[in-house]
Amino acid sequence: METETGHHQDEQLLLAALRQREAQAFATLFELYSDKIYRLALSLLKEEAAAEGVVQDAFLRLIERLDQFEGRSGLGTWLYRIAYNLSVDRLRQRRPEVILDDEGEDGRLPAPMHVVDWTQWPEQLLSDAEVTAELDKAIAALPEKFRVVFVLREVEGLSTEETAQITGLSLSATKVRLHRARLFLREQLTQSLVLLGSEKKPYEM
Amino acid sequence: MKCEELLQYLSDYIDRELSDALTEEAQEHLATCQNCRVVLDSTQQTIFLFREQGKRTIPAQNRARLFGQLQEAFQRSKPV
Repeated sequence: METETGHHQDEQLLLAALRQREAQAFATLFELYSDKIYRLALSLLKEEAAAEGVVQDAFLRLIERLDQFEGRSGLGTWLYRIAYNLSVDRLRQRRPEVILDDEGEDGRLPAPMHVVDWTQWPEQLLSDAEVTAELDKAIAALPEKFRVVFVLREVEGLSTEETAQITGLSLSATKVRLHRARLFLREQLTQSLVLLGSEKKPYEM
Repeated sequence: MKCEELLQYLSDYIDRELSDALTEEAQEHLATCQNCRVVLDSTQQTIFLFREQGKRTIPAQNRARLFGQLQEAFQRSKPV
């Protein structure tokens, strides 16, 4: 397993090689982060073309500022932050009223509405493609401010601290959003999978 | 512990961030409450599915084109 120090040293080496403009270093950076920041951008913007635009601009900005980068945060976190800010800018151009950074109380947690255990369903009941389609629908229904935290924490596997650094949220707001996102997605997925399952096996549900 | 509190602590429970005392209370509740157990299991399964299948990638052709353009910009940016 990769250690924190090992990771830090790797990043320092990569940064030094990038500053020397070594082609291989840029290829490594692109390989490591392009899909990650694509998913981050996609989580906010939903459109593939717009997310690709963010990836392009984020790398261009990193290249432009490479020699001024002070390395207070990690290279990856820096790139994520650039991509996050670019995505937010684009989202605001589209929908000026969108609010991502309020940390106010979001009210009580909604009580679970759909309580059905679908976790033990035989795999034959639903195909992977059907499940994937429902996952896409469920996450598309999640408001952006929750979606981005969920994607960074669960899909990318970042820590609460890293997620908070990238989004500029407090640790507690990051945790609250993750919690609400999980419950929302559970609810959506349970509802849609049960519906889908009952169409297939009407007498055994 | 009541259902409402279990729901409040659910993520901390899943992430093993609850104190020992609260973990024990949560486990006692889960042992007797079928509904909360279903909510816990289906939440964990939801997380699992997104971790497994949420990894969208840049379409290959666009990715190659993007990389080519950026590598060029990277090389051109070399300070003189």
